[in-house]
Amino acid sequence: MNDMRLTERAVTQTAKITARGVQVHYGTNHALKDVDVDILDKTVTAFIGPSGCGKSTFLRCLNRMNDTVASARVTGKIEMDGQDIYDPRVDPVQLRAKVGMVFQKPNPFPKSIYDNVAYGPKIHGLARGKAELDQIVETSLKKAALWNEVKDRLSAPGTGLSGGQQQRLCIARAVATSPEVLLMDEPCSALDPIATAQVEELIDELRAQFSVVIVTHSMQQAARVSQRTAFFHLGHLVEYGETGHIFTNPTDPRTEAYITGRIG
Amino acid sequence: MTQSHIMSAFDRDLESIQALVMRMGGLVEAAILDAAEALETRDEEIAQRVRAGDKAIDALEEQINAECARVIAIRAPAASDLRTVLTVMKIAANLERCGDYAKNLAKRSMVLAQMTALPGSTGSIRRMAKQVTLLLKDGLDAYIARDARLAEDVRQRDHEVDQMYNALFRELLTHMMEDPRNITPAMHLHFIAKNIERVGDHATAVAEQVIYLVTGQLPGDARPKVDSTTAAGPAA
Repeated sequence: MNDMRLTERAVTQTAKITARGVQVHYGTNHALKDVDVDILDKTVTAFIGPSGCGKSTFLRCLNRMNDTVASARVTGKIEMDGQDIYDPRVDPVQLRAKVGMVFQKPNPFPKSIYDNVAYGPKIHGLARGKAELDQIVETSLKKAALWNEVKDRLSAPGTGLSGGQQQRLCIARAVATSPEVLLMDEPCSALDPIATAQVEELIDELRAQFSVVIVTHSMQQAARVSQRTAFFHLGHLVEYGETGHIFTNPTDPRTEAYITGRIG
Repeated sequence: MTQSHIMSAFDRDLESIQALVMRMGGLVEAAILDAAEALETRDEEIAQRVRAGDKAIDALEEQINAECARVIAIRAPAASDLRTVLTVMKIAANLERCGDYAKNLAKRSMVLAQMTALPGSTGSIRRMAKQVTLLLKDGLDAYIARDARLAEDVRQRDHEVDQMYNALFRELLTHMMEDPRNITPAMHLHFIAKNIERVGDHATAVAEQVIYLVTGQLPGDARPKVDSTTAAGPAA
């Protein structure tokens, strides 16, 4: 599986997250069926598929967000750097510091821009003092390409920003705890094309440091930002491979039918 | 992919582009056959018609390219849809070239009509023209039917055209060695034969595009090549 792009940075072949035989039930509903996948380090992986296909469910398995759903039952094995993340000794809060998440709708805390970003490092004790915290806030906002727009009003409420800025604030907040994996569940669906382009540019930059997994309904977005694409359908992982390959010559007819707009 | 798109306008776009390619193919086949007939029957009227008709072929290629650009911009085609658009553009370019060869044949036939005929050669050229138009037709049929096997057959059959060209090349060489006054008509006939042989290569290129469209990969193996003329002298 070679990366077909000519001018892209090389893709690593090291697996960051390894999932084997992952099944998810919500009560009697079998939402995810026997998923095997290796998420590569320092790579953007896109999950595509029609609504209800299990892509968000699988994403939420990766930082144990499904633990918060009472009826959800997750079986199978998910390892991050060889460590089983469903091991009873793993603290889900610590796990979520390493596996950050950005949601579909920007959801800044009703606090200042500064506090939104500083919150994570503070509760995880990542900063030893005010100066260090200031530094984390600045670099996080810079990574999220928001610094220049907000540096003069860090004490203004985060909810007062525009939608695109709010979403980048949420990304800055997720980045602030120095995660190793960033999960994004349709991060651009509420954004205009310019803000979308900024977030996409950001995702590409973040790839230098983290593994990014993005769920998207926009196939063009998946094609633009990812190096690996996984297609889910009816709870199955149908096809997983190099993005250029998936979009020019997919192996499975269901993938073909979906990306060419023949099945929803 | 026989299943239709959820958005039916996308299907209509792709179908109308392919209809244009088919119309182009029909015009090119007719132009080659007509030009060969004009050569054999020394009919300047037909030759003139072929020369004028090339404009329509060129215009169709332009229209196909414009439509393809539109589909890429508006529909962002992927997978087999993307390959359809890419192959349509290449096939249109191949057909446009074939149209030029037919036009050139018609032009030379008008020159040759003013000279003493070389016995037999024009008949061979017409047979060759029939053979390449058949290859083109099969290549385009394979395209419409998404038939990689027929396309592979076209690839393999191109060497028949090559053999006809080689035979004709030797025949023309003999005429020229017999009598230097044959050189002018024989040279014209040779260019014609070479051009028709090139049409065969374009038909092969069309067939290869069909294989790419169906399988996602161009055929990797070398196809049979028969060109003994490079051994016989400064040709090819």
